Amino acid sequence: MSEHPPPSTGSPGEAWVWFAGLGLVTGLAMVLGLLAVITWNGLGVFWPKDILKVDFKEGSAAGIGGAPALLGELIKTQERKMGQAPGQPLPMEWQVFTGNKDRYGQMFKYFDAAEIASHSKPAGVARVERLEYGPALGFPRSLNQDDGGVLPATDATFEKKLREAISGQRALRRDLRRVEKNEIGAVNARIESLRLKAKRLERNPGDPAKRAEIQRKIDAAQTEYEALSARAREIRGRKSGARLVLALGTGEESEVPVGQIVDTWRPNDMNAAQKTGHFLAAIGSYIVDEPREANTEGGVFPAIFGTFVMTLLMSLAVMPFGVVAAIYLREYAHQGSFVRGVRIAVNNLAGVPSIVYGVFGLGFFVYVIGGSLDRLFFADRLPSPTFGTGGLLWAALTLALMTVPVVIVSTEEALAAVSRGVREGALACGASKWQTIRSVVLPAAAPGMLTGLILAMARGAGEVAPLMIVGVVKLAPELPIDGLFPFIHLERKFMHLGFHIYDLGFQSPDSEAAKPMVFATTLLLIALVVALNAGAILLRNRLRKKLATGAF
Amino acid sequence: MALPERFQVSRNTLLVDRAMNRTIRFGGAAVIVAVSGILLFVVLQILPLFRGARLTPALVFPATNLSNSPARLLGADEWMEAPFVVDDAGIFHFYHLSYAETNGKTYPALDRLESVRPDVFPPGETPTAFAYDQERQEIALGGPGGRFAILELGYAADFSSERRAVRQGLRTALRSTLGKPGAALSAVAFGGDGDRKLAAAIQPWPSGPELYIRSFVKSRSLEGEAALLAGTEHELTTNLPSPPVRLLVKKQADGLLAILADGSVAYLAVDDEGATLRQIFTPFEDLPEKRVGNAEFIFGDVSVSFVSAAGEHRVFSLYARADRDNLRLFGRTKSFAALSGAAGWSAHGIRNKTLLLGEGRKAALCYTTTESVRWRGELPVATLRGILGGKNDKALFLGADRNLHLYDLEDRHPEVSWTAFFGKVWYEGSAEPKYEWQSTGGTDDFEPKLSLVPLILGTLKGTFYALLFAVPLGLLAALYTSQFLSPGLKGYVKPVMELSASLPSVVLGFIAALILAPLVENRVPSILLILIFTPAAAIAFGALWARQPARSRARIPAGWEFAAFAPVFLAAVAAAWLLGPPMERLLFTVADPATGARVADFKLWFTHATGLPFEQRNSLVVGFIMGFAVMPILFTIAEDALSNVPDSMRSGALALGASRWQTAIHVVLPTAAAGLFSAVMVAFGRAVGETMIVVMATGNTPVLDFNLFNGMRTLSANIAVELPEAPEGGTLYRTLFFGALVLFAMTFVLNTLAEILRQRLREKYKNV
Repeated sequence: MSEHPPPSTGSPGEAWVWFAGLGLVTGLAMVLGLLAVITWNGLGVFWPKDILKVDFKEGSAAGIGGAPALLGELIKTQERKMGQAPGQPLPMEWQVFTGNKDRYGQMFKYFDAAEIASHSKPAGVARVERLEYGPALGFPRSLNQDDGGVLPATDATFEKKLREAISGQRALRRDLRRVEKNEIGAVNARIESLRLKAKRLERNPGDPAKRAEIQRKIDAAQTEYEALSARAREIRGRKSGARLVLALGTGEESEVPVGQIVDTWRPNDMNAAQKTGHFLAAIGSYIVDEPREANTEGGVFPAIFGTFVMTLLMSLAVMPFGVVAAIYLREYAHQGSFVRGVRIAVNNLAGVPSIVYGVFGLGFFVYVIGGSLDRLFFADRLPSPTFGTGGLLWAALTLALMTVPVVIVSTEEALAAVSRGVREGALACGASKWQTIRSVVLPAAAPGMLTGLILAMARGAGEVAPLMIVGVVKLAPELPIDGLFPFIHLERKFMHLGFHIYDLGFQSPDSEAAKPMVFATTLLLIALVVALNAGAILLRNRLRKKLATGAF
Repeated sequence: MALPERFQVSRNTLLVDRAMNRTIRFGGAAVIVAVSGILLFVVLQILPLFRGARLTPALVFPATNLSNSPARLLGADEWMEAPFVVDDAGIFHFYHLSYAETNGKTYPALDRLESVRPDVFPPGETPTAFAYDQERQEIALGGPGGRFAILELGYAADFSSERRAVRQGLRTALRSTLGKPGAALSAVAFGGDGDRKLAAAIQPWPSGPELYIRSFVKSRSLEGEAALLAGTEHELTTNLPSPPVRLLVKKQADGLLAILADGSVAYLAVDDEGATLRQIFTPFEDLPEKRVGNAEFIFGDVSVSFVSAAGEHRVFSLYARADRDNLRLFGRTKSFAALSGAAGWSAHGIRNKTLLLGEGRKAALCYTTTESVRWRGELPVATLRGILGGKNDKALFLGADRNLHLYDLEDRHPEVSWTAFFGKVWYEGSAEPKYEWQSTGGTDDFEPKLSLVPLILGTLKGTFYALLFAVPLGLLAALYTSQFLSPGLKGYVKPVMELSASLPSVVLGFIAALILAPLVENRVPSILLILIFTPAAAIAFGALWARQPARSRARIPAGWEFAAFAPVFLAAVAAAWLLGPPMERLLFTVADPATGARVADFKLWFTHATGLPFEQRNSLVVGFIMGFAVMPILFTIAEDALSNVPDSMRSGALALGASRWQTAIHVVLPTAAAGLFSAVMVAFGRAVGETMIVVMATGNTPVLDFNLFNGMRTLSANIAVELPEAPEGGTLYRTLFFGALVLFAMTFVLNTLAEILRQRLREKYKNV
């Protein structure tokens, strides 16, 4: 294959060569097209879109509630398939994101392009991200402050004051969250564990002093809880009553409490540099924020974290077992038909559908092992299961089982690639078998093993089907690692990027509104998986080169 | 042979070596055993499905107080804690049982006995006809002078003493009469709920037995008390060709079956107006012994089981009969192996479609849905009556020895059999036997439909369309990459294709369902054109190019054809996309029923022309995306196989004057054929197990056709959708495990085949 003879005149079948090329072109076009679509749409989510003001023709009923105009971001224009007269050309329609769900009841509006009189990009329109009801679009009119003062938008300090108010409220929310989630959460966990202890004592009554002691502790924790919730109430009381008044595109005014505002910007007034800055900041907050509004807004931090912790646990579980099994197969086992059979079987296990592993994980890990653990160690909490239901540990173990063949196969390959001469040299120097393996074979095979691990991680990170059965949830109230003892909560349910895509795209009540989020998450997941795989491929190529040149 | 000390291996090294030796041997073997343990575990989960029913004797106790009068009824509560016998005098004898639990096993014991005589009839009168509804725990009694009453039996748990005790209470729900005064009723039957009841009775007169029915409807009196008020009575004998012998009333209170003396059965529908004779049929028409020995409704009262006097056993169901103007009438749906004689007694389970029959010492437990006899055997004594516990976990027999025999019954998965999984089953209400998957339903008397055939077929359907797309493309791409592509480019092309093998299927599913499906829905003609245009453009362009003089051809170096072709390809795709709608207007038009005008719409045209449904999330989309998902792995393996053909063979062919295409097709391809086949096998295995794409991009409806424009439900999607809701250890849970095993077996066989082929190929190359 090193060189191709130039096609001579009239060499038969030249046309068919082109036909064969069709396969490659189609394949490449699809791969690159798919990546392009996802990248474009995924990144486009964060780019601040211009807000259009659409004026409808006189007497048109296309506007919201018959209003003559509206403000919105153009999502797409398409041919309207429904309701056309036969034989007529298809009318074009616009899909526009109007936001203001609290006012309009929906966030998208479709109308015929023919109904539009004119459209423009007015300066000063703001997009206001809110905690609830999705974004609001409108012209800021004034800031109605706590003390009753009204700061009109024309005031020079308006922008500054608004920003201050928003960031003040954001700090407040952070405080509140710290108190409610971390401190009250810790107290609650303590009370819960004390209650369980009390329950255990009740079952085999003995020491009344002990019971009194526990009761006393519970009471103390209760007092602490009261104090904390009083503090939370106090913080909540500091919430500002200030409101931002917006003039909506349809004419009416809408008030947005400042405490509800996450961020606001004016896309039509931004230049390219500002937009880029906003774009990067939006990506950043997408990665570090918690989801809002049934996952359709905010960030995906818990899903990233869940994916990360799960993949890490899986790697911890898969690596030692895979490597030991591979060393056994390649270095220790007698190379006969049995080992050949095992090798074929292991190869095949890599091709067994992931859902089968999920089924096994549910049956064996969750119900058999988890159920027994619950009966042995968490009997006080029954009937509510602790380990007897899907969770982080079981998901990681299930995926470890699924990926163990990948690790075995690639480790074996790496071990086989270590040349015989090197081994014999080590043995001849008087090294024992294990010494040879540890000091000579394993270091030489390390990149190959790493490749296997990376491939396993990529497969584990992208897999969803088995996770749906063994512990992934759409919204986990707590992260699997936090500040509460024992810090790593293996029994907790967790969120996962892949499942996030499935859930948002298919279980979400408003799938149209969720679409941008799905694209962003898809891009993130693909970037993760592709990065892992590309790393593995690079590593492998480098390894091949190194071996080809003949180390030593 | 003593070595000098300095040559001796240090003891430590030896120890470590030995320890590692053991550890790795043990660990490696353990991992391999554990991995194969998966299969074992799954099989273990499935085994209970195929276990037949087991009856084990638990307790024998005397039916004291029963004197010599024959027992008329045998009844049991849900937990079999207070079964009862009603004797000829209308006295209820309750046998209170207690269950002591030791070491996970329960030991029943007889606690005490209570006899109750309900005062439903005037003193001195004893009931003459009896009927029992185990589901609602109601007993109907018929007496002299056409007297009729329904008793409600209530059970309450009592915790006042040390141990839990069950107390029964008998309450008269209604008193009425059926027939004319002067003769005692010889048979009664009733059905219905608290709002509406239907009662039927036979009254023997010297002129012959007569059949009466009466409805009862709940109404509120002025004081606000609700009571069942008797409606008008109807006499139905004139309708019947032969005197009635036995009655069955449907629990829906909308009809009854009268078994007649000549072996025929009359089905009468009852509404507020009265009764109409719907159907007369003879269950054993084709047999010499036509008389019906025993008749019993199956739970749900849609099917009825008949046993002839000679022991033939058949089940008739209500369904829309195509041969009778689609009227809902009884038709024979099932037959069981003949019993040795007419069943002496029968009882049906109130959980599922189980039926218990007894004759002499013989007894049989049937599950009607799947037409299977779950248990058949001889009991130590002849039995007079039998009943199933409310949870189908106990059976109680009244023996001819005046003892009650309590048995533990274990039959957790009666719905399952090979027929249920792989055969056609005639479900209730259906007009014919079918392959159907529907694991859960809304009502108590729902029959789980567990046929795996639609799922396996759906799996094959998805796989077929995926491979239809992936195999030609993948093989062509592999052929081109290995034989014609310039080696420099190959270093980039291969990793890209390999990378795409790792795209998470949830991403592909999302693309398929939310982007591709709406796009394709309205552009099917364009898609069809793309399928024609692109290969045509490739061949045409290639042929045109080959005709050009060598000088101009040299401008595109060999191995770069695909790059030159790419713009042509894109142009062909664009042209097809744009030409689709005009073609639709030309070819795929249907008349609009409202206006009569021709409407160009492929969806309507397809449904119109073929009668098959068109769905947005269809096999076309799934096939395309799943093909896309499996193509990279197919490409990689096929490319490896083609690249590994020894260069000497290619050089030989080329040296003999073959063109590069001839070399590729006649030398390389045949040599690597086994490898290509193995690539297809692996792709097949991948497509079979693909889950998320199918879950997301199809409607997940189990189908039995290969229509390109509707969805499917595959084995893997079925597991993903249903397993989270399936209770542990239940029939559905184990059935899904069975589905997983089928999936496992399919992929394992395919992969093994592929692997063996690959190894063969390797051997072959070694010798070249």
